[in-house]
Amino acid sequence: MGIINLAPKVLDPIPGGKYVVNAIDYVVNWARANSIWPLTYGTSCCAIEMMSSSMARYDIARFGSEVFRASPRQADLFILAGTITRRMAPAIQMLWEQIPGPKYAIAMGACTISGGPFIYDNYAVVRGAQNLIPVDVFVPGCPPRPEALFHGLLTLREKILKETCRKPWHEGLPKDVSTMDRYREAAKTWAALEEMKDEEMAEARAKFKEEHPDYKSSYKPIRIKKEDFPEVERKPFRRVGLTQLELYQKLTAKFPNITFHTHSEEPVETVLANAPADRPLEVMVEPEDYLAAVEFVKNDPEFKMDFLIDVTAIDYDDHFDLVTQLRSIEVGHKIFLCVQLKKDFSIPEEKRPTSLLASVPTISHLYPAAEIKEREVYDMFGIDFAGHPDQRRIFLDKDFVGYPLRKDFSHPEMIRRPL
Amino acid sequence: MSQPLFSKLPPGFRIQRETNTEEFFINMGPQHPSTHGALRLTLRMDGETIVELVPHFGYIHRGMEKQAESMSYLQYIALSDRQDYLTAIQNNLGVVIALEKGMNVGVPERGEYIRVMLQELGRIASHLVFYGCFGGDLGGQTCLLFGFKEREMIHDILEEVTGSRLTTNFFRPGGSRYDVPDTFIPRVKAFLDHLEGAMRDYERFLSKNIIVLERSIGIGVLTKEDAIAYGCSGPVLRASGVEFDVRRANPYSIYDQFDFDIPVFHNGDCYDRYKIRIAEIHESMKILRQCIDKFPKEGPWRSKEKPVRLPVGRYYSEIETAKGLYATYVVAATTGEKPYRIHTRGPSFPHIAALNKMVQGHKISDLVTIMATLDPVIPEIDR
Repeated sequence: MGIINLAPKVLDPIPGGKYVVNAIDYVVNWARANSIWPLTYGTSCCAIEMMSSSMARYDIARFGSEVFRASPRQADLFILAGTITRRMAPAIQMLWEQIPGPKYAIAMGACTISGGPFIYDNYAVVRGAQNLIPVDVFVPGCPPRPEALFHGLLTLREKILKETCRKPWHEGLPKDVSTMDRYREAAKTWAALEEMKDEEMAEARAKFKEEHPDYKSSYKPIRIKKEDFPEVERKPFRRVGLTQLELYQKLTAKFPNITFHTHSEEPVETVLANAPADRPLEVMVEPEDYLAAVEFVKNDPEFKMDFLIDVTAIDYDDHFDLVTQLRSIEVGHKIFLCVQLKKDFSIPEEKRPTSLLASVPTISHLYPAAEIKEREVYDMFGIDFAGHPDQRRIFLDKDFVGYPLRKDFSHPEMIRRPL
Repeated sequence: MSQPLFSKLPPGFRIQRETNTEEFFINMGPQHPSTHGALRLTLRMDGETIVELVPHFGYIHRGMEKQAESMSYLQYIALSDRQDYLTAIQNNLGVVIALEKGMNVGVPERGEYIRVMLQELGRIASHLVFYGCFGGDLGGQTCLLFGFKEREMIHDILEEVTGSRLTTNFFRPGGSRYDVPDTFIPRVKAFLDHLEGAMRDYERFLSKNIIVLERSIGIGVLTKEDAIAYGCSGPVLRASGVEFDVRRANPYSIYDQFDFDIPVFHNGDCYDRYKIRIAEIHESMKILRQCIDKFPKEGPWRSKEKPVRLPVGRYYSEIETAKGLYATYVVAATTGEKPYRIHTRGPSFPHIAALNKMVQGHKISDLVTIMATLDPVIPEIDR
């Protein structure tokens, strides 16, 4: 809009020229404010509410914003719908740079304002979109209703209508203020306001008492009575497939090292015979037996464990527990094979957070589903899967330092939840 | 003149082949309208034919499992809403059932009916979004408007019951947060009557549409063996001919008291994955009608309130959401209000892993169809 921005320079010296400039402003703003085309961008929950707002019930077309453009080059408005992660941040900045000016941004939802529900103990989320790009309007909510988004859109419209040729749109800079600083500032302002309000209220009360010395309130506080509910027994579950005891006996006959971990003092057989039907059998397997045990339960005609639910791990002080969750689609029973992997403490202490501490053979040749699950465990815990065809980080950047789901993980951007 | 094209392939690509044509790579995402969120796919193309596909996850990885370690169990229910936001109410139940197993709490009959009804409403809502996105990705933007039209009615019901449209945070161990209002049953009834007619129109609109038939029959076939091996579940698995539904295999809540079918199709192509979701909407409506008939008018809707403290142990629950098997694995190392670790198994993650198997040899426009019929939700993959 370079030529239009020159209009005041050319027209203002001419008598009556400023009326022409005002007319130009009026026309340009009318066009801009009534056809704000947003970019089709959404990462999580807010994107669905953004979609809802463009559908028949809410109909964003009433405000001239129904043309969701898939290319940033055709868009005017960047609705940041959904959480922004560190990995997504460069893509967002690139998208913003590709939108031609004048361009505007709406931060939709709590995540893009401050990090929202992901503010504490989080290593992955960017706390606020204004750290990346200049944001014009913030729409709070988790997720905001479509009406809230419309309010944001109308607020943006007001902002656009204030632009003139004399004071044209210019790109701002992202604010480099940390979220916690802004929080503290807001908390201070809030506390000051509350104090002021309290003082005013006390004054008003004193004044009222002076004027009406024998006033008595007829108001009685109504308290909602807490209902009493009876205790309900848990329904018995239907048992499917082999019982826990049968599974355990068949497994131990083949692999005598397999054990069942229990806190009870009774013998294992009694514990398993009395176990609830809906609880899967969870047994401890020696690391040497792990591959053979998985192969056995997969191919054995009685077990038929053909479906891999998940592979996950748990971090303890000196060992990892790798849990392989298997189920049989045909028969219906489940087995959780739990492998205790001792941490390799021969690695010097300062190198431990960034190095692989344990190793286990992969099962991705038996279950193709295990490939991505094992990549996830590798990414999150730093467990090495020997023989894995494609062992790369899956959720985090390849230059990410450390393994986040270990208990001793620390990240410079992580804020601890106040107790 | 045939020679290997790439001495070194980019990470993830594996197929070694010799061709005379020139191959190239295409990047799709992380901001792309048809990847249903922040998913990035890299495609290895031979002309317009896909040779290999490598998905890149993590663009919406929010570290929920790390965060859960410093949260209480009840706070985690709110986080589970934000995993698969299309079936938020079902995720709540998945977490709550795991907690109930630890606390040893039962649910009264009225509470169970509330649960089942909201579950099925959530399933219909999710499948309606699928209907819209499937039509939209094939080029019929009108479907998007249709799918969301009935979905808003479900949102109205959910808002009245839970107070929230999308992220419900409604169920609690032993029942739910609130009782349903008196208007709940009439509203659901009216909604079902409306949906029956609407579904008839919608099916007529897409099921016999020549563009849909041409673009989906025989596209993206997933065989029965592959579907099981890759860990697919839900409609994707059932469209490949495997009759597996947690509601029938390991009935949770009171699903064993209802008369409904598990629809199974056998071709495993895009059209079957579309048809199965339409059939599931009808089955859900069947369950809802039975619920309306049997809904207890009186009686407690939750059991006695107890502090949510789990004894030492590991608790596992699985439910069938609209997308498939949703499992929660809770590890309590000390008796208390905070978990040692919570792990969630989402259904969409294995589906995207099986995507490479489905798209090989198809055109790039078929990838959009296949992605739409898998109906993935990316935040639930990345968590």
